[in-house]
Amino acid sequence: MKRSYTPYLLLLPFFVIMALILVSIWNVLLQSLGYIPAFGLTTLTLDYYKAVFQQEEFLSALEVSLRIALQSALLATMLGVLLCYALVKRGHSKGELLYLVRLPILMPHAVVAVFVISLFSQTGLFARIAYMLGFIIDFNQFPALLYTENYGAAIAAYLWKEIPFVAYFVLALMSSISSTLGEAAENLGASPWRSFFQITLPLSLPAALKAFLIIFIFAFGGYELPFLLGTTVPKALPVQAYMAYTSPELRDRPYAMAMNGVILFLSLAMALLYALLTRKLLKQTGGRE
Amino acid sequence: MMKQQTFLKLILLITGVSILLPIAVLLLWSVTGRWPWPNLLPESYTLRTLQELFFGSAKLPDLLLSSITLAAIVAFLATVVGILTARATEFYDFKGKSFVRIGSFLPLLVPGTVFAMGIQITLIRLGLSDTLVGVVIVHLIAAVPYCITIMTDVTRAVGQRMEEQAMVLGAGPFTAFFQVTLPALLPGILSSMSMGFILSYSQYFSTLLIGGGRVKTLALVLVPYIQSGDRALSAVYSVVFVGSALLIFFLFEALIHHLERGEETR
Amino acid sequence: MMKKWLALLLAGIMSLSGCSASKQSIDPQNASWDEIVEAAKGSTVTFYGWGGDENRNNWLNTTVAEQVKDKYDITLEVVGMDINDILAKLSGEKQANATKGSIDMIWINGENFYSAKENGLLYGPFTDKLPNMENYIDLDDPETLNDFCMPIDGYEAPYAKAQMVLFNDSAVTPETPANAAEFMEFCKKYEGKVTYPALPDFTGSAFVRNIIYDLCGWEQFQTMEADYDTVKTAIEPALDYLRQLNPYLWNQGKSFPESSTKVDAMFADGEVVMNMSYSPFSVATGIDQGIYTDTTRTFVFDNGTIGNTNYMAIAYDAPNKAGAMVVINEIISADIQLTQYAQLKELPVVATDKLSADEKAAFGAVDLGQGVLSQAELLAHRLPEMPASLVPIIEEIWLNEVVGK
Repeated sequence: MKRSYTPYLLLLPFFVIMALILVSIWNVLLQSLGYIPAFGLTTLTLDYYKAVFQQEEFLSALEVSLRIALQSALLATMLGVLLCYALVKRGHSKGELLYLVRLPILMPHAVVAVFVISLFSQTGLFARIAYMLGFIIDFNQFPALLYTENYGAAIAAYLWKEIPFVAYFVLALMSSISSTLGEAAENLGASPWRSFFQITLPLSLPAALKAFLIIFIFAFGGYELPFLLGTTVPKALPVQAYMAYTSPELRDRPYAMAMNGVILFLSLAMALLYALLTRKLLKQTGGRE
Repeated sequence: MMKQQTFLKLILLITGVSILLPIAVLLLWSVTGRWPWPNLLPESYTLRTLQELFFGSAKLPDLLLSSITLAAIVAFLATVVGILTARATEFYDFKGKSFVRIGSFLPLLVPGTVFAMGIQITLIRLGLSDTLVGVVIVHLIAAVPYCITIMTDVTRAVGQRMEEQAMVLGAGPFTAFFQVTLPALLPGILSSMSMGFILSYSQYFSTLLIGGGRVKTLALVLVPYIQSGDRALSAVYSVVFVGSALLIFFLFEALIHHLERGEETR
Repeated sequence: MMKKWLALLLAGIMSLSGCSASKQSIDPQNASWDEIVEAAKGSTVTFYGWGGDENRNNWLNTTVAEQVKDKYDITLEVVGMDINDILAKLSGEKQANATKGSIDMIWINGENFYSAKENGLLYGPFTDKLPNMENYIDLDDPETLNDFCMPIDGYEAPYAKAQMVLFNDSAVTPETPANAAEFMEFCKKYEGKVTYPALPDFTGSAFVRNIIYDLCGWEQFQTMEADYDTVKTAIEPALDYLRQLNPYLWNQGKSFPESSTKVDAMFADGEVVMNMSYSPFSVATGIDQGIYTDTTRTFVFDNGTIGNTNYMAIAYDAPNKAGAMVVINEIISADIQLTQYAQLKELPVVATDKLSADEKAAFGAVDLGQGVLSQAELLAHRLPEMPASLVPIIEEIWLNEVVGK
C-alpha cells in the first residue's frame, strides 16, 4: 500500500519551495563573494565583507538593527506572556476579547506605521494629550521618537503588533498548564503570583522562547517599519543593504550582498542558539520530572 | 500590594484601549482637513480623501481585485503545500524526514528582504520578474511555514484511520482522501488559507521588488502616501486595506465556526 | 480532479499575468517619425516614476492617458515607484543580461540621471527624433542642454519645471523676508518657530543653496571644481550666517526635521510659521485641499530662487521605445503642458515665444488659485542649479559645520 516513493511525491511542492530558498541563499553568498560575471567580476574574495565591516554606516546600521530586534523581542515577549496570563486567568482564552487581541496580528506593517505616526509624532495625539494635561507646554518637550536615531517609533510599532502575537502564540500551552498544574499549586496554598512564577511561567518558556526567536529574526530583517519611521543616518541594516542594492553603480552590488550575508548569518546563528537553548531546557525539565 | 485579579484586569483594559485607540484615530484622520496643534480633534473635515479613493487614479475596484486575487492564489497554493507536506510527515516514514521538519522552518529564518534580493536575478532570468507568478512565488515563501504548521497539527488530529477504513470498504485512495479526510480537514484548511491570505495581503517589499510595480497591491499604493506625509490619504487607504483584510478574515472565521458547530451537532 | 483544478488555476494565472507585448520590430534610431508613430500604434507604454503625488497620478491616468489613447491608440500604464527602486530594477535586468525589460519611460533628473546614463541604463540619444522638441522647446535653453550642469546629450526630454518658493500665513506673520538678512530678522522675531529640512533632504538642500546664492552670488559655482576645501572656502560667509541663525530656529538648530514632508506637516499644524517648497504653486493646492489656511501666501527672495527641470528618459531595455518616444513627444506639446499647468500647477517647459497666439492666451487664462506668484514673476526670479557634483559636498559641509554649531 504505502509505496516508498509516495512521501517524496507528496513533498514535491515542498522541495520546490526549499530549492527556491537555497537558490536565493546561493545567489546572495556568491554575489557577496564578488562573483558577478555580468559586471566583469569573476574572482571570489572576502574583500567585500572586510570592506563593509570597515564602513561606519554599516556598523551603525548593524547596531541599530540589533537594538531594534533585541528591544522589541525582549519587551514583546515579556509583556506578551503577561498579557497571555491575564487572558488565561480572566477566562478569555476564547471569545470576543481574543478576537480583539488577534487584531494587531492581522494588521499590515505599513498600516501600523500610519498608527504610530498619528500617535507618537511630536504633534501627534499623545503629545496633544500631554499638553492638555499640562505635562508639556510646547511640543518640543515631547520626546522625539519618529525619524530619530533612537528608532523609538519603529520599536513601538513592533510592540503593538508583537505583544498580541506572543500572547496568542503562548496561549494554548499556558492555558493547559494553568488550568492543571497552576491551579493545583494554588489549591495547595501557593499564592497566585508564586504559582505563576514557579509553575506556569517556567513551563510556558519553550513557547515564549520560540516566539522570541521569531520576533527577533523578523524585526532584525524587517524593512517597512524602519524605512517608514526611521532616520537617514543611521539606517536599519536591511534598509542600508537595499540602498546599496539600488545604487546605480553596479559594482556596489557585492557590498549589498555582503550586508545581506551578514543578516543571514546572524539570523541563522540566532536560530542555532535557540536550538541549543531549548535542548538544554528540555533536558532540565526532563531531569526534574 | 494590588490583588492579582485587579492587576490582570487592568492589563486587559490597557490592552483593549491600546488596540482600539489607533484604529479610532485612523478613522478620524481619513476625513481630516486641518488638525492644528494642540487641538484634540480636527478643525476641519474633508471629503477629498473619499473622492480620491473612489474617483482617483488608483482605480480602487481594480486594486482590490488584484490584491485579493493574488492573496487568494497564495492562500490556496500554500495550503496545498501544507496539506501534502503534513500528509508526508505525519503518515509516512522515509529517509530525510527530520530534514523536512527542520526545512519547513527555513523560510522563517531567512528574512524576506534577503530572500527577495537573492532570488530577483533568478526570476528575471526565468522571465518571472514583473509577473503575477513571480510575486506568487515570493509570497508563498512567506506563507508556507505557517500553513505547514497549521496543517500538520490538523492532520495529526484527524489521523488516518477513517481514510483506511474507507479503502478497506473499497474506495480508491483519491476517493478516500477527497470524500473522507478532506472534509474532516476543512476547518484547518480554512484557517491555513486565512493565514496565507493575510500574509500575502500584507507583503510590501517582495511585491515591490519582484512585482516591479506591475503587480499592483494596496500596500504598494499606500506606502508612497505615507512617505510623502499625506496623513489623510495614508489614513483612508489604511482603512480600506485593513477593512478588506478583516472582512475576509472574519468571513473565514465565520465559516470555520459554522463547520465546527455542524460537527458538534452531528 | 486535483489536476483539473490546477490546470484551471494555471490558466487563470496566465490570463492575469498576460503580457502586454508590443508588435514593434523597428529600430527607432533609423526610423522616420511616421514609422515610429505607426509602430507605436496599439501598444502599451509603461511610465515609471514617484507615486506619492495624488494629483499627478490622477492627471497621468486621465488627461495624458486619454489623449495618447485617442490620438495614437497607445495605452499608458503609470507605475508609481521611487527612482532608486527603478534604477535597481534596471541594473538587475542589466545583470541578468535581459534585452527586453519592463520599463519604458522614467521620470528622472540630476544625480540619478547622471549615474543611470554613466552606467548605460538609459536609451538614447532620442530627443532629436521628437518633432515637438523643435516645435515647442527652446533648444538653446541651458535647462534643455544640461541637467544640473551635466550635458543631457539627447538622453532626456523636459517634463516640468520646479522652482524653490517660500510661504507663510499672512494672518500669523505679516512679513515676507526678501533676502537672507531679512530672513534672519524674521527668525529672531518668531524664535523657535522656523526651521528647514535637514540636508540631504531635497528641499532643505535647495534652501541652503539658495542662502549660499544670496550671500555669495551664484555665478562662481557654475564652473567650480568639486573639491571639499574649494567649496568650503567659497561658501564660508553662508556657513557663518547659518551658524548665527541656529539659536533662533526650531530646537535651537540642534536638530532639523528629517524631511520636507515633516516640515509640511509641522507647518499645517502650526508648529512652524514658515515653510518652503520646490513646487512653486503648492500653496494653491494646499489651500484647495484645506490643508493650509486661505491666508497662506508665496514669496521669493529679491535676488531669486533656484529652479530646476525634471525630465523623462527611456530605459536601455525598454520593450516599447517607439511608444515611449510618442508619449514623451506628446507630453512636451503645448496641449498637455497646458493641462499640467492648469491641473497640477506645475511650471510648463514650453518656450513662450514658440506658442501660437491662442496657446499663449490659454496659458494666460489659467487660474492658478490663491496665494501664489505668477509664472512671469517666478521666471523673473529664477536662478540656475549648481553642478550636481557640488551638491553632496555642500550637504557634507553642512553636516560638519552647521548643524548643532
